[in-house]
Amino acid sequence: MSQMTCKSLTIITLAGVIIQMIGLSLFVWGFFPVKPALTGVSGPESYRAPAFDSDENYGNISLPPHQLRSLYQDLSGIPPSFDRLILLVIDGLPAEFVLGKDGNPPRKAFMEAMPYTQSLLANGMAIGYHAKAAPPTVTMPRLKAMVSGAIGGFLDVAFNFNTQAMADDNLLGQFSSIGWKMVMHGDDTWLKLFPGLFTRHDGVSSFFVKDTIQVDQNVSRHLVDELSRDDWNLLILHYLGLDHVGHIGGRSSLLMAPKLAEMDEVVKMIHTSILTRENDQGWTLLVVVSDHGMTENGNHGGSSFEEADSLALFVGLRGHVSDYKSATQNTAQQVDIAPTLALLLGVPIPKNNVGVLIAETFDQLKDDHQLRALELNSWQLFRLLDAQISCLSCANISLNDFSDGQPSVTTECNDSLEKMFCCLYMNAAVLHSTWKSKKVSQSSSWEDYNSTVIAYHKFLKTASEWLSSRATDKPVDLLAFGVTAMLLSCLVLLSLTLHMGREINLIEKLHHYHSNNDMQMCFLDEIFVLGVILILVISMASSSMVEEEHYIWHFMSSTLFLILLRKTVQLLPAQNSLSKGTKNFKFQMCSVFVLLISGRILRGCHQGGVNWTHLPDISKWLENSGGVHVKTVQLVSGVSVVILGFCFLSLLSSKKNVILVVGFNFLVSGLLVLVHIVKYQENAFARSSYGATISAQMIYAVLGSTTVGTAVLSPWFMPIQISKVGSSRDIYSSISVPSDVKDKSLLMALKDSLYVIGWAYIFSWCLLQLLLQQPINAMPILLLLVQILTSLLHFSYSGLHHKEWVEISTLYFLGMAGHFALGNSNSLATIDVAGAFIVRGALHQECQFRTSSPDNAGLSLSGSADLKFNSIDSIHNCIAVNEESFICLECIFSEYIELLQKNQELVVPAAFHRISFKNMAALKHCFLLSMIVAFSLSSFQMSMAARNLLQAPAGPLPTLPPMPKVALPPMPSIPTLPQATLPPLPTLPNQPTLPKLPTLPPMPAAPKVTLPPLPSNPIPTTIPSIPNIPSTIPTIPFLSPPPST
Amino acid sequence: MVKASTTENPSQSVSPMQTFFIHLICGVGLAVGLWVAHNFYSISLISNPSRTLRLIWVTMCPLVILFYSCFRKNPEKCSYLKAVIRGVLALPIGALVNALGAIALGAPVGIQYFPKTVNWSLLMSLFTFVPAASVFGSSWEDWRRIFAHTKPNASVDYMICLPAHGAVIGAWFGAWPMPLDWERPWQEWPICVSYGAMAGYLITMVLSFVLVLARGGQQHPKAD
Repeated sequence: MSQMTCKSLTIITLAGVIIQMIGLSLFVWGFFPVKPALTGVSGPESYRAPAFDSDENYGNISLPPHQLRSLYQDLSGIPPSFDRLILLVIDGLPAEFVLGKDGNPPRKAFMEAMPYTQSLLANGMAIGYHAKAAPPTVTMPRLKAMVSGAIGGFLDVAFNFNTQAMADDNLLGQFSSIGWKMVMHGDDTWLKLFPGLFTRHDGVSSFFVKDTIQVDQNVSRHLVDELSRDDWNLLILHYLGLDHVGHIGGRSSLLMAPKLAEMDEVVKMIHTSILTRENDQGWTLLVVVSDHGMTENGNHGGSSFEEADSLALFVGLRGHVSDYKSATQNTAQQVDIAPTLALLLGVPIPKNNVGVLIAETFDQLKDDHQLRALELNSWQLFRLLDAQISCLSCANISLNDFSDGQPSVTTECNDSLEKMFCCLYMNAAVLHSTWKSKKVSQSSSWEDYNSTVIAYHKFLKTASEWLSSRATDKPVDLLAFGVTAMLLSCLVLLSLTLHMGREINLIEKLHHYHSNNDMQMCFLDEIFVLGVILILVISMASSSMVEEEHYIWHFMSSTLFLILLRKTVQLLPAQNSLSKGTKNFKFQMCSVFVLLISGRILRGCHQGGVNWTHLPDISKWLENSGGVHVKTVQLVSGVSVVILGFCFLSLLSSKKNVILVVGFNFLVSGLLVLVHIVKYQENAFARSSYGATISAQMIYAVLGSTTVGTAVLSPWFMPIQISKVGSSRDIYSSISVPSDVKDKSLLMALKDSLYVIGWAYIFSWCLLQLLLQQPINAMPILLLLVQILTSLLHFSYSGLHHKEWVEISTLYFLGMAGHFALGNSNSLATIDVAGAFIVRGALHQECQFRTSSPDNAGLSLSGSADLKFNSIDSIHNCIAVNEESFICLECIFSEYIELLQKNQELVVPAAFHRISFKNMAALKHCFLLSMIVAFSLSSFQMSMAARNLLQAPAGPLPTLPPMPKVALPPMPSIPTLPQATLPPLPTLPNQPTLPKLPTLPPMPAAPKVTLPPLPSNPIPTTIPSIPNIPSTIPTIPFLSPPPST
Repeated sequence: MVKASTTENPSQSVSPMQTFFIHLICGVGLAVGLWVAHNFYSISLISNPSRTLRLIWVTMCPLVILFYSCFRKNPEKCSYLKAVIRGVLALPIGALVNALGAIALGAPVGIQYFPKTVNWSLLMSLFTFVPAASVFGSSWEDWRRIFAHTKPNASVDYMICLPAHGAVIGAWFGAWPMPLDWERPWQEWPICVSYGAMAGYLITMVLSFVLVLARGGQQHPKAD
């Protein structure tokens, strides 16, 4: 067997890991494409044809509002149809309830509940649309889509977490630029999106999902007053009650019909008021929309028909709708609402709009005005196309190409993409101009008009579809390349590991250890660990398995513990030699039982996931039983963590000054954390007070200096003791490698220092978590610590009977199960952002005050409740992950971040421990460690790839979360959103922990070659990188969870 | 019963026919339990899991204990009655172990689940512990050989070891559909786990018969 040199090993490993990282970044890059969006807002230039070559600079729009308004009127050439707009948003109302489905009228109960609306539809006074919403079907992205007409890229969901104000061009901004006064009553999402834009507002929170009455009364109580006023141009009413009814009882809830009746009353009230005031106030348009639908159970978030089936109902158009059927059986896209409203109300279409105007709503206009509207929409879309296709230049297709012959709609446009758009556009434009010239000469015919309309619609439809699909399409070659690179690196690392394994086997065979009689039985745990990887990859194919992943991890880890129990019994010495090993055996048995019991308690702490969140669990029980109990549990856990910390520090064989110093640091930081808990965690106000922030910062400082100091200094000061071979108290001296005594003592010192470093790291992590996590999570943290320690002890007692990678993956399982036990889930909504406020959170308080505006004092958020989304209101805040591949991706994405975190949290320190436990096998560890990481990464990748493949054939058009990209919020007016929340994103780039792993290998090799002089010990050079990790762990503090409806 | 008592002498070495007979009895007992529940009480595992499980284990209990006791180890030292008593004692103990195992793996805890868990674990005990207790008694070495090492030597070992493992593994796999959101009534604890356990039990009984049949010829040389 060829002996690999240390150098080549290192190089190959490094290469493998680097390839892995490159592949991963390529994959992520390809998978989450960032689409260019146009900045700025549409101005007067949008009423001029897009100039192909010259830059479109029409000067800045600094006109006063009323001038701008008349300028727009002049330029557009369409008399504004309406002066006032009432936007009635009924959250979560499926269009099916009002319009029926597939030609059938809605359910009888619903028909009867909404007599007025149905009569409007039947009399041709209203026209309704099934407006298809793009996922994620949750409120904020949908509102953004409605007002801007844009579909955001996937990553916007993640990047815009704490973005509140909408910076993109949108209808409300346009209205305000022409001096409209706006009033909003209802969901406070509007206030977050458009701070300072409303002259009057009353925001209600969507937070109290159980409240179906008050939440709507808070809106309706303003109705009479507002309708009698004439100082507004836009009135937005956003009713949340119906969504809440859905969340509580699903579509068939008993409360549904009464709620619909209430909404019908609102429509009736508004419409009668419009009718009575029609003449003196100008024309008012009432648009009833819903932001999304709901599933049979009342959830939403995905892209199923039920969820995406939102309503768009135009009431008060003066056009002529013939019958009930044609008023109800129309479909549109939700984004179409934006251009339609813009054109009806005489403002430029927002820049990033991908919607197409809804033709029937313009029926009351004259022919030339209708064509003009189509033309304006085409210009806007053409500009957007121009921005997205770099070489879209229609200059070379001159008008002459068309004008010599009689242009017709049937002109074939099957060229390349750019040419096709140009061709379609020019076709329509030419037809339009011909029609216009003919009209002047009074010779225009209906056919000409018709063909122009068709040509325009053809272009608009093609462009709109292409633009929305742009948001989802992914560069396949990039993805393939990324996957290949990752597979390659996996192969490299795998072959390396196999090679190493063979060598080590050989060495072991040469030396000793082959008295084992039942080798074949020992493999069950190894087979199982490998099987788990397979099971995980397979389970990722099922969306509910992704939603309920915590069950899998708990099941797997418990099964592994049971297998370890079985193995312990197997390895029990035969009865004749029972006396010798029985104590050891008993300890091992006990440790497995401790693992099982604490694992089960951890599992019972939080009912995560989506489907079973309502079941009772320990955290709910504790919270209901009152703050005192929570606090007691928290304090007990804190004290136990500190005590455990000392116990394990004292296990070290050498009790020298270093240990004392580290111990002292432990004590100080432990006490600080306890004091912080006692003093400041009473309520959110105290939590964010100045003193609390200072104390938290002090804890950070102490913990940071402890870990860094230990890592840097302990290898230098760790005494080299010339001890006998492995003292009896040495828990990690399970192997004795024949070597000379001096070598041994150096290794012992190395071992000890690594032990101290690893332990300081784990302990600091626990204290940090105690500080940052919710009080309810203190006990899970303690249990996690106990589990980690018990498993380490178990493995060190059982000696060489376990393979190292089995041990490391056991710790990994523990980490994953523990991650979910802390109340996390694969939904972005459960990311607990409260921790971000603890250290940098003075602004937090303001946030509190703002959310509880005086008007809904009864509903004001109390205590720190507002940030604990998962515990209070998990049903509502979970982005329901129903059968929805893209959100699953999101899950995987967030999971992936977590996974990296967990790797840092557990595997790394664990690896250090193992290294210190078994000094000679250290080299092996490093490879195994990177193997584990590679495995976990590749399982992630494979699931991603599988997802992608699954997703590819399905119409990619609408699957994009249509959150418009919102640049980082300028938000000068509302300081509610502390920027403090931004730091989280850096966690992603922080993955580079991976590359650190491969740097380890040289370390153990050093002692082998020559005995390095102590000060030049290579360890200090590599170790300092570790302590950086704790700073990344905290929670991913995305600020607010996705705005739930 | 009469037939069984006449064949009790060869104790350790069991003929394939006897294996087949025992397995058939156990399988029939299981089926009868289900059948009685379905036809006489008009309940099923889905509509009333707790009562159905109770019916099954009550039906199977005497069959398993009485028949497996015929193959007890060291028949000369240990009377038939003693073996039966051992089996009866092992029933609650095994149920406790099974219940703890299930709870460790995530079975729900709570008053409303208690009867279900109890009846399920009694049934599991009949699949796993009771036969072993009737045959081996408290012989730690034998237990370890069967359950920890999974090294059956004699035919009777196969008869005990394989179905027990099959039931446990079947139950383990049976738990997989539980977190899925199909919203079927049988996804509740312990319905699909019971189905999995029964399926595993039945399959491995057939397997055990086949193995006993296969090693029928070379039984004696391999016994040492």
